[in-house]
Amino acid sequence: MGVAVLLKQVPDTTAKISISGGKVDESSIAKWAISPYDEYALESAIQLKESGFGDVVAITCGPSRAAKCLTEAAAVGADRLIHILTESTLDSIQVQSLLSASVKETGCDLVMCGKQAADTNSGSTGPGLASTLGFSFVGGVTRVSVNGGLASATRLGPSGLEEVEVGGPCVFTFDKGESELRRPNVRGIMMAKKKPIDSLSPEDLGVNGTNSLVIIKDHSSPPEKQPGQKFIGSESIPEVVEKLREEANVI
Amino acid sequence: MVYEALDFYDIDSLLTEEERMVRDMVRDWVEDRVLPNIEDACRDGVFPDEWRAEIGEMGILGAPLKGYGCPGLSYIAYGLICQELERGDSGVRSFASVQGSLAMYPIWDFGSEEQKEKYLPGMAKGDLVGCFGLTEPDYGSNPGDMITRAEDKGDHFLLNGAKMWITNGTIADLAIVWAKLEGDIRGFIVEKGDEGFSAPEMKGKHSLKASVTSELVFQDCKIPKDRMLPSVKGLRGPFSCLNNARFGISWGAVGAAQSCFNSAREYALSRIQFGHPIASFQLVQNKLSWMLREITKGQLLAYHIGKKKDDGSWIPEQISLAKMNNVDMALEIARMSRDIHGANGILDEYPVMRHMANLESVKTYEGTHDIHNLILGRHITGIQSFTREP
Ligand SMILES: Cc1cc2nc3c(=O)[nH]c(=O)nc-3n(C[C@H](O)[C@H](O)[C@H](O)COP(=O)(O)OP(=O)(O)OC[C@H]3O[C@@H](n4cnc5c(N)ncnc54)[C@H](O)[C@@H]3O)c2cc1C
Repeated sequence: MGVAVLLKQVPDTTAKISISGGKVDESSIAKWAISPYDEYALESAIQLKESGFGDVVAITCGPSRAAKCLTEAAAVGADRLIHILTESTLDSIQVQSLLSASVKETGCDLVMCGKQAADTNSGSTGPGLASTLGFSFVGGVTRVSVNGGLASATRLGPSGLEEVEVGGPCVFTFDKGESELRRPNVRGIMMAKKKPIDSLSPEDLGVNGTNSLVIIKDHSSPPEKQPGQKFIGSESIPEVVEKLREEANVI
Repeated sequence: MVYEALDFYDIDSLLTEEERMVRDMVRDWVEDRVLPNIEDACRDGVFPDEWRAEIGEMGILGAPLKGYGCPGLSYIAYGLICQELERGDSGVRSFASVQGSLAMYPIWDFGSEEQKEKYLPGMAKGDLVGCFGLTEPDYGSNPGDMITRAEDKGDHFLLNGAKMWITNGTIADLAIVWAKLEGDIRGFIVEKGDEGFSAPEMKGKHSLKASVTSELVFQDCKIPKDRMLPSVKGLRGPFSCLNNARFGISWGAVGAAQSCFNSAREYALSRIQFGHPIASFQLVQNKLSWMLREITKGQLLAYHIGKKKDDGSWIPEQISLAKMNNVDMALEIARMSRDIHGANGILDEYPVMRHMANLESVKTYEGTHDIHNLILGRHITGIQSFTREP
């Protein structure tokens, strides 16, 4: 028993990104971080552990720099750390097959991750993994608790806040929740440093390097934001009202 | 935008993973909790109690001390903690310096086993706050002539006198008080609520506004016999605490300077005058390059003295040089950065004027700038020039 939490290392959401040759120039990124929605998944998994549920297994798939997010997870309470070491860019199917192979290896039947990664925004990992593993899937949850054999999750649905109950193995993807994310402390950091990271290659997991079926054909930057406009003095009120009505369509 | 601390010579690559993680933890906390609230704290003249609790939860107090619930980190890690806290505000770093180096350290080094067990675990968690009473109204740079006295009354000590400029005084649960017992300077632990002890706050500071500064007043203050620190006598006691705090300040000043440099650089790139960003003018570039140069030198000094603290090969004069140099450079950089910001530099929207005002205190406390010059002068010549008497 236990929870597998999937963590993706992404550029910090406040980091400046520069593009060269249609790709993100990684060397220009000043700070990498755990993708924000994944952090909510991690927090929820640690809360589950504190309520008496099994260990938290943190799994990341990515290049060697991604190991840092495992150590960060250990500093706030993750028990086992698995790094699927991949140096090339993978498509969603490849990532899902690697992750599902490692989840199977851990024997966890609850899987938690963010509803989408802050860099790609594609949102395919959770549902894709559920389908590869044959698990149930509940998306966009903010809280998960386990009682007896049943997991229940809170999510924002069409009827308001829904309580969803699931029996059996399940993948939950997380939205930004109410819970405050815990900070690491020195004790956690010292313990995290001692925690081994199981580093696995795709071959170790029995996943053979298939070719990516998806390629990015073209890319363009979003249009530059128009500079703001300044209005000074009461004589500009009619003009502002006119612009708010005609251009911004807000009144 | 993500904070990119100036690190021109890649000191980062010399740090251990643990040191980097501790640094990032404190940096994130400062960004989340200090920077959005510091101007309010300064305006209200308070050190928010949540900061005490959260600093305690991070487990960074008394960073380099081992055992008794203390973190047991390297001196480099302690320096990095000070650097990040002071990048936020010198007042926040002062809180941690006083707690760790001036209050926990003397108990850890000179205290009895019972004293260590009684106070250190709670202090490491931030549940108990300590302060350090050395300076008196009439004795600042010259603490050896202090007036505060302790008398042995058989079953208790009686303290009389007053301390001034005491950081954390009013919010402290315990004070390490240096007083003369039969002519010898000794350390005493005075607890909040002890008979005859009060700690009124000093108001009206233009500097370190988010730090509590107090008087400590002892009027026939009665404390039990087991409150004296047994294993130190003379000025060596307070001075060995100051060595640790001064070491932390040499790193803290780098943090304040990095903050001022970043603000100046960003501002210079975005401010257009005469049709061009002011960053494109040679005079402004000269200032920025001077800042880069001085901060880089200060970082190397701090790092090297940190390594010497870790391997035990340091001498106090080396710490004097690092404290004096780095505070001096940080203050000069704060002033230069203020200048680059033009009129905007005086606003609380930018951190520079606050750092500048703070650093004036930092220049004075923990040995004034010139007292460190005199310490180095004595080291160079073998002749003390503190006083005219032989
Ligand atoms: C915000 C703040 C917090 C503080 N916190 C604490 C604390 O927690 N605990 C504590 O004990 N103290 C604390 N202090 C006090 C601080 O350590 C003293 O202010 C400092 O030691 C200087 O003493 P003084 O202010 O009496 O200045 P003085 O000693 O009177 O010095 C005035 C000037 O004379 C110069 N001077 C003095 N002697 C000589 C000499 N022989 N030759 C040449 N020049 C000389 C000095 O360099 C200085 O420029 C704090 C001070 C401040 C401002």
